[in-house]
Amino acid sequence: MKLRMGKLLLGACILLAASCVKPDNYDGPDASFEGSVLNEGFKQNLQTCTGNFAIRLEQLSWSETPSPQDIPIKYDGTFKNSKLFSGHYRVSLKGGAFWPIPPVELDISKGTTYDFQVTPYLNVENFTYELDGTTLTLHFNVSAPIDGIPNVIEVQPYVNTTEIVGPGASIYDFSDVFRKTVNKAYTDLSEEDRTITIEDLIPGRTFFVRVGVRFDNSDKSSNLSEIIKIEVPQQ
Amino acid sequence: MKTINRISIFLITGILVIMGSCQKLDVVPNNLLSDDQIFSSEAGINVYLAQVYRKLPIEDFTYRPAGRDGQSGFNLHHEWEHFWHSGAACGEMVGPWGGMDIGGGFGYWPYKDIRAVNYFIETLPKYSANFAGNKVNELLGEAYFLRAYYYFALAKRYGGVPLIAVTQNYPDQSIEELQVPRNTEEDTWNFIGNDCDQAIAMLPETNVAERANKYAAAALKSRAMLYAGSIAKYGSQNFVDGDARAMGFVGIAAEKADGFFQKAIEAAKQLEGKYSLYSANTNKEQNYADAFLDDKSPENILVRNYSIPSRTAHSWDATFSPRFMTANALSRAYPTLEFVERSGALNVTNGDGTPTRYTNLADAFQGLEPRLRGTIYFPGDVLRDRRFDVQRGLYPSFSGTAADEVAKDPNSRKYMLSGDPNTTFEGKTIIGQTGISTSGDDKTRTGFYVRKYIDYRRPQADVDLFTSTTHWIEFRYAEVLLNRAEADIETGQLDDALAALNLIRNRAGATPLTMADMTVDVVRNERCMELAFENHYWWDLKRWRTADVVLNNARFKGLMPYFVMNEGKYIFLKEPETFGRNYNFEKRFYYEPIPGGELGKNPNLYPNNPNY
Repeated sequence: MKLRMGKLLLGACILLAASCVKPDNYDGPDASFEGSVLNEGFKQNLQTCTGNFAIRLEQLSWSETPSPQDIPIKYDGTFKNSKLFSGHYRVSLKGGAFWPIPPVELDISKGTTYDFQVTPYLNVENFTYELDGTTLTLHFNVSAPIDGIPNVIEVQPYVNTTEIVGPGASIYDFSDVFRKTVNKAYTDLSEEDRTITIEDLIPGRTFFVRVGVRFDNSDKSSNLSEIIKIEVPQQ
Repeated sequence: MKTINRISIFLITGILVIMGSCQKLDVVPNNLLSDDQIFSSEAGINVYLAQVYRKLPIEDFTYRPAGRDGQSGFNLHHEWEHFWHSGAACGEMVGPWGGMDIGGGFGYWPYKDIRAVNYFIETLPKYSANFAGNKVNELLGEAYFLRAYYYFALAKRYGGVPLIAVTQNYPDQSIEELQVPRNTEEDTWNFIGNDCDQAIAMLPETNVAERANKYAAAALKSRAMLYAGSIAKYGSQNFVDGDARAMGFVGIAAEKADGFFQKAIEAAKQLEGKYSLYSANTNKEQNYADAFLDDKSPENILVRNYSIPSRTAHSWDATFSPRFMTANALSRAYPTLEFVERSGALNVTNGDGTPTRYTNLADAFQGLEPRLRGTIYFPGDVLRDRRFDVQRGLYPSFSGTAADEVAKDPNSRKYMLSGDPNTTFEGKTIIGQTGISTSGDDKTRTGFYVRKYIDYRRPQADVDLFTSTTHWIEFRYAEVLLNRAEADIETGQLDDALAALNLIRNRAGATPLTMADMTVDVVRNERCMELAFENHYWWDLKRWRTADVVLNNARFKGLMPYFVMNEGKYIFLKEPETFGRNYNFEKRFYYEPIPGGELGKNPNLYPNNPNY
């Protein structure tokens, strides 16, 4: 009798313990989405910087009014999120100094890639520099692939010690301090507006430098030049 | 026999227990007030309304514009860190914020409180037999004022919101019925205007303390309609595109602006002759400081009181003056040089650009506008018998111009700085007890301290946390005059604007303006000076749609006093504030995002505001 009671108790314990296991039959976030944002007509990635715009995902297969999630753009114009749930998504670009493109709807699963083709408001071209001691003079031209772009509010250099350089990643005293407020159409940018002089760089240091043209659009974003590397000579 | 006895006792007890369970507990709970108790007498009504007033979204001393630990930023219990001030996030002051950190708000969504007002409006008329004369109408008018005030706090944050004017009930109503969609921004502002009109028509001219009268409703209307007018006018020039804008949930057509401005002027004019600017003291500087401390001021239209017994006392005195002048706590927010120079640039250099030498700190600030002196404590001023001995550092000697010195690399400047007010060099302390330190922010970062609302009459030993009982003035006549003058200028009524502004300039001890000054920039500057540190500046920058220009990666300055040892004199240099913080306003912050939790509950709130 006692023995049977013991067996019953043991059985009950096992059953109780087993009830603690909850099998989760939902798929984990095993999908990924990556790609590049290309400058239409140039076969190269858009000149941008970390977080300057975002790829917005809305999972339509989950809800009609999903909460959006954003993938910030990387400094080289690529993006990647490898922890997404598989499903049907609406994908759009949020912010950025280029002509808006309509959202695309696609199914995201393991290893999904997608490249966006965008037309920037302005291409910053013929970016040249001249280094005289610790004074750096930058010059550039701009061209608009399509007319009718927002006004340019300011022109400014971005200087950093790494090649990740741009709005949000620059040294204030060499970048924002030399900002030029222009507030005009890009066609009215004068030779002077397109020439920037940075003074008192630190001797013996290496800097990565680019210029940006900032627009009066919704997120006040910038078109950026390519990045140049400057080695300031020891004095 | 014994057994039978036992069994019968057992049975009887059992039956008694079972019978007892047939009693249904149906007792009126004695910790809740019933409608009958509340609405049958004025005393009950007062209790009910006191609750509503306490929850009113007044941006007073304790207001935290980014909320606290996930709670709403209004009417927080046990809140003492008043330096988390909206003005300290947008350049009126510099403070503990890391930059412009208040753009997203804290998800304010007071529909529960609005329901309490709607319930009042629906229930009170059923009990009208209990009230004599016009009392029911007067109370209803008060409720319309309160509802307008709640919706005003919503509209200035989100633009268009669901306009709910009746009580909702669940489960009597289905979920779908309760998911009310957003109204347009224009409808929302008009709803506020209409509620104010109802309140103005029904409220009496007089009021008990802390409660609204007819003129409080008119003051609210002038403020709200001015906001709506500038959003219509400037929001159609500077905006972020998006679905919410296309559908009218944010933004108002530009041609509606004049109508709103006109309503602001009409509402403001109703207060004419009923209120006046405080001018009890002929010393204009002292008068301006006292205007915020004297509870008899004829300028006050609606105030909120605080007291120690009710545990509502605040800590403004202990958190806006340095520890040197208080009994406890610390200060962390300091007015900027940019704010101070709104009434004219401080002239602390000679014609040749060299810094002017002063024997005493206070010598540099003689002859400034009395209102500015009454708003700010300058270096050399005295509070509670102690002097603001603000000093950034020592120069053994100083030559050259101020501009050249400030432009130098800090490492090549021949000055001494310190983090400790007790460090000395050749017998002279390097910095003052009130700053400016190289470490921390418990002393000024800019050279200035706030004076407005500081009760200088309290002895130092009393100035602790939760001991300030200075009332908060939510509506004062100076603001109404400024609302009127701004709307006047926006609609070209320059004579009326000039008259209103010169009343304020006269009380401020400032030089009168002329017709040539009647520009938008002048009236805005006057507003910023008069209403400083009263939580207006942030909303003004937003409705003027200038925040993204003023706060475009902006950094702010201070006025740094130094002692030049070989001359025994003070000089002042205009330099970046000691933390060098960066303030950037993104255009999408002109509207706050609809709170995520609410979007989850009510899909009809979509689309969210642009760029969120």
